[in-house]
Parts: sequence; C-alpha cells; structure tokens
Amino acid sequence: LDGKPGISFELIAQAAFDEGRTYLATQLLNHEPRAGKQVPLLLNMEEDEIALDKAIESGDNDLVLYVLLRLKTKHPLASFYRMINTRPMASALVETTAREEDTKLLKDLYYQDDRPIDGSNVLLSEALNETDMPRTTEKLHLASRLLADSKDATVVLQQKLLSEASQLLKVQETLDKEIADRSEFVGLSLNETVYRLIRSGYGKRAQKMQSEFKMPEKTYWWLRLRALVAKRDWG
Amino acid sequence: MAPYPGSDADYLKDKARRDLLTLLEGVRGKKNLVVSQDLAGPVGLFVKFSLLQEYGVDRVFLLENANVDSSQRNVVFLVHAEKTRQVRTVADQIKRLQRNENVEHEFSIFWTPRRTLVSNAILEDVGIMGDVSIAELPLYFMPLEQDVLSLELDESFSDLYLHKDPGCVYLAAKALMGIQQRHGYFPRIIGKGDNARRLADLLLRMRKELDAEESSGLTDLSARGLLPSADTESLIIIDREVDFGTALLTQLTYEGLIDETVGIKHNQADVDTSIVGPTPVPQAQESSKAPQQTSKQGQKRKIQLDASDQLFSQLRDANFAIVGDILNRVARRLESDYESRHTAKTTTELREFVNKLPTYQLEHQSLRVHTNLAEEIMRNTRSDIFRKILEVQQNNAAGADATYQHDSVEELIARDVPLKTILRLLCLESCMSGGLRPRDLENFKRQIVHAYGHQHLLTFSALEKMELLQPRSTATAMLLPTTGTQPGSKTNYGYLRKNLRLVVEEVSEKDPSDIAYVYSGFAPLSIRLVQCVLQKPYILSLIRGGSAAPSAPSPASTASPGWLGFEDVVKSARGATFSIVQKGDDKAIRARQTLSGNNATKTVYVFFLGGITFTEIAALRFIAAQEAPRRKIVICTTGLINGDRMMEAAIEKGNFTQPE
Repeated sequence: LDGKPGISFELIAQAAFDEGRTYLATQLLNHEPRAGKQVPLLLNMEEDEIALDKAIESGDNDLVLYVLLRLKTKHPLASFYRMINTRPMASALVETTAREEDTKLLKDLYYQDDRPIDGSNVLLSEALNETDMPRTTEKLHLASRLLADSKDATVVLQQKLLSEASQLLKVQETLDKEIADRSEFVGLSLNETVYRLIRSGYGKRAQKMQSEFKMPEKTYWWLRLRALVAKRDWG
Repeated sequence: MAPYPGSDADYLKDKARRDLLTLLEGVRGKKNLVVSQDLAGPVGLFVKFSLLQEYGVDRVFLLENANVDSSQRNVVFLVHAEKTRQVRTVADQIKRLQRNENVEHEFSIFWTPRRTLVSNAILEDVGIMGDVSIAELPLYFMPLEQDVLSLELDESFSDLYLHKDPGCVYLAAKALMGIQQRHGYFPRIIGKGDNARRLADLLLRMRKELDAEESSGLTDLSARGLLPSADTESLIIIDREVDFGTALLTQLTYEGLIDETVGIKHNQADVDTSIVGPTPVPQAQESSKAPQQTSKQGQKRKIQLDASDQLFSQLRDANFAIVGDILNRVARRLESDYESRHTAKTTTELREFVNKLPTYQLEHQSLRVHTNLAEEIMRNTRSDIFRKILEVQQNNAAGADATYQHDSVEELIARDVPLKTILRLLCLESCMSGGLRPRDLENFKRQIVHAYGHQHLLTFSALEKMELLQPRSTATAMLLPTTGTQPGSKTNYGYLRKNLRLVVEEVSEKDPSDIAYVYSGFAPLSIRLVQCVLQKPYILSLIRGGSAAPSAPSPASTASPGWLGFEDVVKSARGATFSIVQKGDDKAIRARQTLSGNNATKTVYVFFLGGITFTEIAALRFIAAQEAPRRKIVICTTGLINGDRMMEAAIEKGNFTQPE
C-alpha cells in the first residue's frame, strides 16, 4: 500500500485498533508520516514509549510535553525516570518544567542520575529564595553535604565555596549586629563587604576579613583605593 | 502559486496585521486586550494602537501586571501558547475575573503562534475550557527591516543552549515552511551546526507531512504540487553554537554599540532623556500642537531605530570610528540646505523651499538625537576600562596567548566592572582556546564569587552547561583537531583564523573592503562561513594571495554550489555540515525555466539559529551590497543577540540579602 496516494494510514490504523488488532495497528502507523496524528492514537493504544519516541522524532516540543504530562500521571515515578533517561530531549523538557514548579522531582531525578552538582545547585537556589537566615544556612549546609564525599576537583572547589558562603553570611550577621543598626552587610559579596568596611573606617575588620578569606593582595589594594577615594580620605 | 508582489517583509507585516484585525473583528463590541510582555513589542512592529482602537480595543493591559479590570465585557488575551507559565497566568486571571466580578465576561484567547495540546490540558485542568473562545494567531517571522526577519523569541538562546529545549527550532521550521509555501521549496538547504541539521531535517519532514496530507486528500488543492522555487537560490542555516566567539566580542559598529550600551529591542531603544533631550513633538504633520514635555533626569525616551530614518540607515552599519565624520558631513549639508533659502528670490523658489522644510526639520531632529547618542557612546569608549576590555578581546581574537591577559582580567574584577563584561572575557578565552587551564579557572571562580557573590556558583554551572566556560580537561571543551585522530568537538578558531583569514589587520574602517571592519580587524567566523558558500572566489583570493582585493564578479558562482571547495576548512567548525538538494518534478521545472528564463536575481535566505548580532547583520549587508546584481540576501533569525544577553541567560539573579 505504501506510496499510493489517497490513503490515510491513520484512519486505517484506527479501524484496526477498534477491531482489537493492536499489533496490526502499530505496524500500519509506521507508514503514517504525520506525527500529530500518530501520537494521540499511540497513546490510546497504550504504546507509551513508541508514542514518546515518535513525538521526539517530530521535533514538536508541544507534542513531547503533552506525552510527558500524560506519562507522568500514569506511571510510577521510577519507571517514568527510566523512560526519559535515555532520551535527552525528554529529560531536558522535564527538567525545565520541573524547575519552575516541582523541585522535589528535580532532586529525585538528579539523585537517581548521580549528578551531585546539579542536585546541590537546586538546594543552592532554594537557599537563595529563603527569607530567614537559619533556613538559608541550613539549605547551604545540605547543598555542601551532597558534595562531601567526592574527590573530583571541580566538586571539591564547589563544596569549599559553598561552605565559604555560609561562613561569610555568619560574619556579616555579626557585623550587622555590632556596627550597623539594621541589616546592611548580609547578602553583600566579600569584596563589597570589605569595601564598605573600609569606607566606614573599620580598617582593622577589613584586614581581618582579607586574611580570613584569603583575598589576594592586589584585589585588596584596589578595593582600598576605591573605598578611600569614595570617602575622600587622602591621608 | 503566484508569487506575491513585493518583499517578504511587506507581505508578512501585512498578513500579521490582517490576521490580528480579523480575529479582533470576530469579537463583537468593545473589548479590553491583555498582551504578554514579550509580545507587546513585536505587535507594535506591525500595528499601531490607534488602529486597534478602531477595532474596538478600549484599553491594553500587560499580562504580567495582572491588573485587568472589568471595564469591558469582552476580554481578549494575546499570549504565547508555547510558554507554560504564561498559559497558567492566563488561566489564573480568567478565574479571578470570573470569581469576583458581577459582570459576566466573555473571554477570548488568541494563542500565538498556535494552539498547543499542553495549553488545552491546562485550561481543562482549571475547568475553564468551555468558557473561552480560542483562536490561533499564526505569528512567526516579524519583519524588522526589509532584509531582516526575526522570530523575536527573546529566550531562544537560553532555551536552546541552556535548557536544551528545541522549541524554537520547531517554530523556525514552521516559519520557513511559510516562506516555502509562498515561494516554493528551497532548491538547496545548506547548513552548519547540529541544531541547523535538526532544522533542515524538520523542514524535510514537514514537506513529507504536507505531501501526505495532499495524497490523502485532506487539504486544499492550492498547496498541491509545491515545486522547487524559481526565485530563491538557497537557504543557509548557521547554528549560533558554531561561533559563540563572535557574539562575545564588543560590537564596534554604530548600531552594535548602541545595542551594547543601551540595548535595542524590537527596533527601539530606551535612552535617558538627559542624553537625547525630551521627547520631541511627534514628528508627524500637526506637530506644533503637541505640548512640549519637560526634560527630567532619569526619564527614558523611546527612540525608533530603523531604516525609516535616513540618517540612521547611513550610520548604523558603519564602524563607530567614522560615525563622527558622517555626522559632520550631514550637518554641513543640512546647513547649506538651510542657507539655500537666501537664494530663494522668486515666489516659486520660496514655495519650493517651504515645501522641503518639513524634511529638513526631520533630518535636523534625527541629527541631534544621533549626535548626542554618539557623544554618549564616545564618552564610554574613551574610558580607561573600555580600552582595557577591548585590548583583552583583541588579543584573544588575534590568537595571542590568553594567559597574558589574566592580570588585566583580575584587575577588572577588583575594579568592580559589571559581571557580564568579565564573564564575556572569560567565555571568549574559553571558546577561542578550548577551555581554560583548570587552575586558572578555579582562580577566577573564586575571585568572581568573592567579588559578585556566592550565588554565582549557579552562574558558573549554567555557563558550563552551555559549554561557554569550561576547564580544558573536559571532553566537550576539546577543539576539533586538524590532524591526527584525537577527539574534539569545538570550533577550532586557531586553525580557522589562518585558513579563513579571520584577522585582517589592514582593513580600512572608512572605506571597508572586507567584513572584518565590523570588529576593526576581526571577521566574524559565522559570516565567513556564509562567504564560503556565496563568495568562493573572494575567499580563495584571501587565502592564497592575501591581497584583500574586492571580489571580481564571477559568472561561475553557480557552478560550485554548497560547501564545495571548502569542505576541509568547514570541518574544523563545530557540528554537522550539510548541503541538501530538494528536488521536484523535473518536467515542471524545465517547463518553467523556459518560461521565465534564468537570469533573474534570486534570493538567498540566511537563517541564524540562536540569534544574530548587529555586527553580523552589518557584515551580511556588506556582502549583499557586493552581490546585489546577482542575489538578494534576506536575513532570518530567532532573535537578536549580543554578548550581554548571552550572559544574562546564565547569570543567577537571586542573592542572599534578607528582606526586612
């Protein structure tokens, strides 16, 4: 039948499926070039993975998303992960949609996939969204713990910087309490903190921070120069 | 299949306007219009608010403001259906209006560019599917200029390279199908890059689907038997990720620099009034009646930047170095024009002068705006920091050992230069030399996190995912080898710099002989690739003789189509290389050839997937001018991009500040 004009394989396949001949219907559908017509029928026939593959093949992201939505509600999560795992486009779309609405899913996904950096990044962005200090540091702590037992160089650096972040927040909290009346330091970057300290005349504290966080000499001198100029302190 | 008279741009503009207005007519009575932010600008390109008013639109709201009121019974939403979040917002707002109002609203939604299954599912979930009338508004290409069509998908860059979401490839394919249905099939599809390959495959697939519709007798007959086009030569698709390097450089044309300093969106730029003066009286005829606005500090004014402004179309593609000269020349000419009134003695001469006066005034105003703008940019480009940045960029582009630049970059970090700028420099180095040394990268990571906040650990992750900033050891950072068999996947700038002459030092900015003028000596690789298809003799003369003589028009240009002759060179750029011929019924083609002859100038579509920069547009226009007798070049893209926008896609915006 292939190659003859005037034949809609979708309609024939539908008919075959209605007759209960599922295998024949799938075979027939292979001849149907229009993915838009193919996929819903495949879903109806419970040929889920084929439907997903066909949707991906079509390049139509809407079709893929639609199939994914259906599959997610239908399958247990573990088998859903397995299904998308081997299909990069599907997992990319799942990740994007999950980033907006379902971070729990994202964490599970990264855990199953063994992607510690991605997993800790989710926690880091959650930490950024927290509004009170203890919760923020707690999330940061969790994030760095995820990376704790790896030896990979990038992971080690990431972990070090994460714990540094909580350390910095702690120092800033004390600064807020001791020398500012209101929250003024929390949330600044290290350089900004040092800059502000110098500008307000707390040179000692600034120097202490420089050594505590191992800031390079050159950076420190540039910061000092800029801060003193801003203060108009030419002494 | 009669070709529509006039250019694609006019046709598209016209069609978009008609489509929207027809849909609005379908909603009887007065209505309130709710537009999503990312559509408001593009819609402004083809329709004016006054026209919408004529079609019963009372007020326009932005979807993101969530402040639609119940002043009108009809509420119309105009929203992207591809964006799940926006669809949800629409559903929420409809719910809200339904709940707390005593007016019974009629809701219509125009999905752009198409209705999606996902949007249906969302509306069904919320339970309002039955209460809304839904229509599609097929907006794909927005005509920015006669030779520039853009999908204006702001997020296409991050979608494609960060989230790996190929949605915009699909939309691009749809848009190009639209062109094919108007003009016939592209006789040849040439491309470079993996996403480009995907796009080409989609085009072939959609053609098959169309054939299937026809053969099963489901569609109208008008689409029947689409043939290879007679008035298009080919489609060239370039994937942005083939050449990230170019977009990371600071653009040095006038329009490019405007984009770098104030940003251009949908042909408009918001400029501080302190720079360009207050909004002038509307430049139309009854200008004198409009009240003069007072200039306030910090107020922004929208400036229209397109070819309708004659002065701007002279300036836009020029290297910034000569903008001063052009402005000066125009000022002198204008002055002499004004002076000519003294010689006008007779009444007829005087009348002629008065008739021309409005044009003079228009020019005068535009001259004032651009002089001020140029001055502002000049202030920026003369600064110590700008020069430092440029020096680092130029050295990177020229292939000098990048580690010598690290001191400068460190200094820039300590001096608190905007993060985007720093990241551009680092990404540039990473792209051009196949990653940074791991130790250097760690150093920079630490310094940047210290200087700009620890939240940027996320930024680095994103940049790595986009393969813009990587340590040298990773597999994906490797350059494509020119010899041997070691693996690699990245564009090898070192090799291409030599073999495609990316660095042209002797280029004159005043009277450019090569596209390298747009970056004062560096030719965008992306455009060089286009030249490998379109201007083979010229490229050959560059490589062999080294003399940058302008290409002699060669009648044999059609003899070696595709990448022929440059396969080896092109192989060192990232991604798939392909050249596909779309065939049709032979007899019909021959018949048409004898009918129409074969000497007409044909159109070449150049599609940039993932964004194009203003410098690249300028360079393409430069080629188009050289090719004018034989070819017409139409530039298509998913959106306009620059280095800052690339970085914004990656930069984490949250911080650790605690709200009080």
